[in-house]
Amino acid sequence: MCGIAGVVFKDKKLHPVGDNLTNMLDALQHRGPDSAGYAIYGGLGLEENEYLLNIEVKEKQGLLESVKKTVNIATPIKKEEIIPSVENYIIYRCKIELNTFSKLKPLIMDIDKIKDVMVLNGAHSFEMIKDIGLVKDIASRYDTQSKMGTHGIGHTRFSTESLVDRYHAHPFQSYIIPDITVVHNGQITNYWKIRDPLERKGHIFETNNDTECIVHYIADKLSKGYGLEEALEQSVKDMDGPFSYIVGTPDGVGIAKDQLGLRPGVMAENNEVFAIASEEVSLREVMDTHDIDQISPGETRAYTI
Amino acid sequence: MSEFIINAEHQPPREVNRTIKKAATKNDKITIKNPNAMHYLAAGLIDPIELIIEGSAGYFAGTMIHGAKIHIKENAGWFPADNMTEGEVIIDGSAGDGVGQGIYGGTVVVKRDVGSRTGEIMKNGTIIVGGNSGFMSGLFMMGGRIIVLGDISDDAGESIIRGAIYVKGNIKSLGKNAKIEKLTIQDENELKELLPSYGFNLEEHDYNSFKKIVPRFNRPFYGKDSEEG
Repeated sequence: MCGIAGVVFKDKKLHPVGDNLTNMLDALQHRGPDSAGYAIYGGLGLEENEYLLNIEVKEKQGLLESVKKTVNIATPIKKEEIIPSVENYIIYRCKIELNTFSKLKPLIMDIDKIKDVMVLNGAHSFEMIKDIGLVKDIASRYDTQSKMGTHGIGHTRFSTESLVDRYHAHPFQSYIIPDITVVHNGQITNYWKIRDPLERKGHIFETNNDTECIVHYIADKLSKGYGLEEALEQSVKDMDGPFSYIVGTPDGVGIAKDQLGLRPGVMAENNEVFAIASEEVSLREVMDTHDIDQISPGETRAYTI
Repeated sequence: MSEFIINAEHQPPREVNRTIKKAATKNDKITIKNPNAMHYLAAGLIDPIELIIEGSAGYFAGTMIHGAKIHIKENAGWFPADNMTEGEVIIDGSAGDGVGQGIYGGTVVVKRDVGSRTGEIMKNGTIIVGGNSGFMSGLFMMGGRIIVLGDISDDAGESIIRGAIYVKGNIKSLGKNAKIEKLTIQDENELKELLPSYGFNLEEHDYNSFKKIVPRFNRPFYGKDSEEG
C-alpha cells in the first residue's frame, strides 16, 4: 500500500505545487510511512542545457570533495547547495551545464562509482525531492512549501519488495528521454518480461524495483513517438499485477490502473486544476469538489498543458 | 429525540468512533461534521441510531454495523457497509470499489456511480446503485439483490452462486456462471415498491428495461457446467 498523487494547473502559470503536493501526500500518510517524494515541474528556471543534480553523500571526511572533483572534470559546477538529511547523509545539489542530454547519464554513472555516494537524480525541467521518513518531516527538511511549479507528482511509500532508502523512494526517473518520472502503488508481476526487452535495447536498470521498470517502459514508448495517453494504454495491456501509477512529464501527468482494478485511483478536475490521487481525501487538499471520478480497471487518464 | 454533534476535524478515526459509540447509547441521532473522507467511520456500530455524515467518508464507512441508519451526504471510498448485518447506508454521491461487500442484510443505496466488484460475496440484503456499476459486480455473490439503474461493466455476476442482479441499462458482459433471464411479475412489483422509497421515481416503461442476472447453476464446478458435469 502506497499513496500516489498528481496535480496540474491548467493555466500553465506557476503555483505553489510543492505546498499542494505536501498537503495531498500528508493526507495519504496512512498509506505508507517509509519514505516520500516529489517531482515538481516547471519551476526550476534552468537555462537550456543546464541540469540540477541531487546527490546523496555520506558524511565522511573528503567524500564531498571527491564528488565535486568528479563533477568538475566533466563540467564546471555553476551553483551548489547542501541539504542536511538523516542517518549521516547529506544531499548535495549542484547546477551544471552539459552539451547534450546524452552526457547526463554517463556523468551520473561516474559519480555513482564513488563509494557511499548515489545520484538520486539529474533533471532539467523538474525538481526531485525524495527522502526517507514522513511527508511533513521531508517537507520541512527541503522547504517544499516554497517550491513553485505548473504541475507535479508525489508519493508516500509503504515498502514491500525493495529497500527503504532515498534511492528507492519514489519518484523514479528514466534517462531514455529527459525528465520522465513515475510514482507507483502496487506490483508488476511480469517484471522480467517487461525489463528484458528494455535491457536488450540498452536501457540501464539500477535496481530491481518494479517502479524503475515502469518509468523506463514509459520513457521508451514516449521516445518512439507514443503520446502520453497511448503509452499508458499500452502499459495496461503489457503489464500484469495490481498497480496504479502516475507519470510526470515536462508537459503533464497521467495515471494508469491495472485491468482488475486492484489498486485505487480517483480524479477530479475543474476549470483550473486537474488532480489525481489514491484517495478522495487527497484531492480535497487542492480543490473543493463534490464530483469524484473512480478510475476504472484498465483505465487511463492524462492531462497535458 | 436527542441529537449529538461530533466535529471530526483533526481527530483520528479511532477517537471519532469511540465518541460515536459512546453517544449512540444515549442519543437517537448523531451528526458528524468535517468528516473529510475519513476511513472506518462508524465501524462496528451496533446501536440502531440515525447517523448523518456531513461530507464524504473514506474506506469501510459503516463496516460491520448492525441496525444503524447512516446517511453520507457526499461520496464514500472503497467498501462502504462492508459486512453489514442489518441497517441502512445511503450515499448521496458516488462510491468506490466493493460497495456492500459481504453484507448479510440491510440496504445500501448509492445515488451515483460506483466502482468495481459491487456486492462481492454478499450473502443477503439489497444494494441499489443510481448510476453505473463497474467491473465484476456481484463477484461470488451468494444471496440478496443488486439493483443498477445505469450500466453494468464487464463480467457482471462473475461466479455468482445465489441472488440476483437487476440492471436497467446495458450489460457489457457476463461473468462465468451468470445468465440473463426475464423479470417475474413479483420481481417487478418489488422494484416498484422499493425504488421510489429511496427517491428513484421511474416511469412505468422504465421497468420494462430491467434485465435480471442470475446464476446458471447453484453449485458450479470449474470446467464443468455443474457438480454432476
